[in-house]
Amino acid sequence: MSDLDAYRDKARKWLESVAPEFGRDARRGLSVEEDLALGRRYQRAKYDAGYTGINWPVEVGGQGLGHLEKITFDGEEMQFGMPNVYFGISLGMPVPILIRFCEDKPWMKERVIAALKGEEIWCQLFSEPSGGSDLAALRTRAETDGNGWRMSGQKVWTSWAQYCDYGVIVVRTDPTVPKHKGLTYFWVDMKAPGVEVRPIKLAGGDSHVNEVFFDDVRLEDSQRMSPVGGGFGVALTTLMIERYVATDSAGFGPHLDLFVETAQDIDLNGRPAIEDGRIRSAIARNHAMRAGLDSITRRAMLMMQAGMQPGPEGSLQKLVAVRSRQKLSELGLDLQGNEAFAFDPHAFVKEDWGTSWLNAPTGRIAGGSDEVLLNTIAEKILGLPQDHRPDKGVPFNQIPA
Amino acid sequence: MSILYDEGQQAIATESRRVLDARTDKARLLGLLEQVGEFDETFWNTAIEQGWTALALPEAYGGLNLSLVELGLVAQATGAATAGAPFLNTSYGAAMAILHGSDDSAKSDWLPRLASGDATGCVAFAEGSSPLPPKPAITFDGMMLTGRKPAVPGGLKADMAVVWASLGGRPALVAVALAEAKREPVSSFDNARLYADLVFDKTPAQLLAQGDDALVLARDVLARMAVVTAHEQVGGAEALLFIARDYANERKAFGQPIGAFQSIKHRIAELYGLVEIARANCIHAAAQEGQPGFAVAAADARLSATEAYDTAARDCIQIHGGIGVTWETGLHLHMRRARSLAIEQGNTLFWEDWLVDELLKGDAA
Repeated sequence: MSDLDAYRDKARKWLESVAPEFGRDARRGLSVEEDLALGRRYQRAKYDAGYTGINWPVEVGGQGLGHLEKITFDGEEMQFGMPNVYFGISLGMPVPILIRFCEDKPWMKERVIAALKGEEIWCQLFSEPSGGSDLAALRTRAETDGNGWRMSGQKVWTSWAQYCDYGVIVVRTDPTVPKHKGLTYFWVDMKAPGVEVRPIKLAGGDSHVNEVFFDDVRLEDSQRMSPVGGGFGVALTTLMIERYVATDSAGFGPHLDLFVETAQDIDLNGRPAIEDGRIRSAIARNHAMRAGLDSITRRAMLMMQAGMQPGPEGSLQKLVAVRSRQKLSELGLDLQGNEAFAFDPHAFVKEDWGTSWLNAPTGRIAGGSDEVLLNTIAEKILGLPQDHRPDKGVPFNQIPA
Repeated sequence: MSILYDEGQQAIATESRRVLDARTDKARLLGLLEQVGEFDETFWNTAIEQGWTALALPEAYGGLNLSLVELGLVAQATGAATAGAPFLNTSYGAAMAILHGSDDSAKSDWLPRLASGDATGCVAFAEGSSPLPPKPAITFDGMMLTGRKPAVPGGLKADMAVVWASLGGRPALVAVALAEAKREPVSSFDNARLYADLVFDKTPAQLLAQGDDALVLARDVLARMAVVTAHEQVGGAEALLFIARDYANERKAFGQPIGAFQSIKHRIAELYGLVEIARANCIHAAAQEGQPGFAVAAADARLSATEAYDTAARDCIQIHGGIGVTWETGLHLHMRRARSLAIEQGNTLFWEDWLVDELLKGDAA
């Protein structure tokens, strides 16, 4: 058994031991607040067991292990439905950025450990009504004010902002230069005067994203995490920091086995659906596609184990998997016919066609829409030209709004 | 077997691509389309000289004792070149049927010659639209084969065939020299595949397997050939991906390269996805040779490679516009090959059913 297999085994045993307290079944019927409280207890248990900050330095409370152990643990954890979603963004991007860019600040380690234990949560305030895919088009501004700054504007799609203690934010500090050059990166206290969080109810019925309004919010210059005007680079680093994350060829929806079971349980015009050619075709094609993604993942893991850089084909995972999940979920509902109408909005996405289908569009937009991912593949991997960008080199305040 | 290529395997991939680049002549390939019964002898002599015929056969019979992984890499290169002869996968398929069959004289008769390239083989399983009919109409009786196999790939020039036949109402797999068989050429949209109806009239043949053993062996041979073919399909699809990408970077319309239009660039990015998924399945399948998961892996490779190659042919021509449909540009070489390879070794409908059956078997276990 390789070291990694041994690590996987140990992690799985631990997860199994805590699953009755924190897993899928324990969470059924909880309100979001109750689930968050359970999540904080789970996060603390993970910290105590040595499964937080797995690939972070020991000096900041991490375990000092590699990407492989991190991905391995995440892959196992994914199967138990643990209440970890509240900490995904926090520990995925803002806190690693804090470690990297606030090394010199004495409170950094304290914040990082509080976040690892689930006591504090960080959000990432990037998207705006006028700047989503085009991050540098953002309009929230900060102006110098004595030895600090005053910030006003609006962010949107901020995950878990309603429960967050701190956030990292990019704002415009100079509108007279081209859009990428006038941005600066700060951290912000989400409880500061002038910060208002309004949850957005999504199509699926839940409210994990928010609008966040800033009205003359005071920032100390010590809260600045980039050079003035150098915020875009740090923002890109934030988006790139988790290069290798646990992937799921099911697009974070149900496994194909569930579709096969559904097709075995249901009759179509008096015959088992599993004998229907259309259903068999869908199963076979999804299997072939998902097997390809799984093989790409396995090769990436082996390359990392061998100290090599995995190939760029890993970037296909989300694009291909979530799209196929959406279509397979439609077919899953189709297959159930009228029985599909009985809908439980709180069912788990990985075991229910209805919730998987209703939440799939979010997966195709969040973290880079299909269209943005296709552009990235075309431009970065295949060397095709960039889109026409008429705002290139134009001072921000001269770009037609 | 690892799914990371080692240095030797990478060298085989590079070298076979280099050799084929140097010896492939598009005008010659286009010429083959207009004749029935000719193949690209330069390609086939190259294959023999490079030892590709011997790659995946055992040393005892003059082979190099390598595996489906190495053969797959060569097949990928031949796919990119739309190589003008079908034998790389069919001779290999015939050799595997003989090697894993029960007739020792068939082994000593054919394997050394197939390994050296002195003889070429073909595999005649399909009848009508069925790649592996449960009750083949062609019969084997008293060590003699009688009946017809339609449009056998390589059948027009191969020296021997492995035939799926009936023996007393049960299936049998037999090896037959084609010297005494009648061949009727099939004029095709891809003539370099050398399709021929093979007609036998009490032709002497050797029994390789019968009954359930024959079915197990035939399915294994089909799966192996499917994996070789899937590599060939990925090679073709990848070649088209790069042709499309290069054209989109060069060709200008409305004052910019057409690759700047999302309708074009997204289409090419989607092709990249199809090619990489099919490639990943091929790598996995080749490494699964002889393992319990081989049948599923072969089906995954087969289905995704067929989709990748057909889509790439379709889209690459579309991206080229009018120039893409000219004889001279030769993109139709790939379009034709994409379809001929899609149907040889079993069509998509067959493989979809195969895969689901295998998955359900796994469920029951």
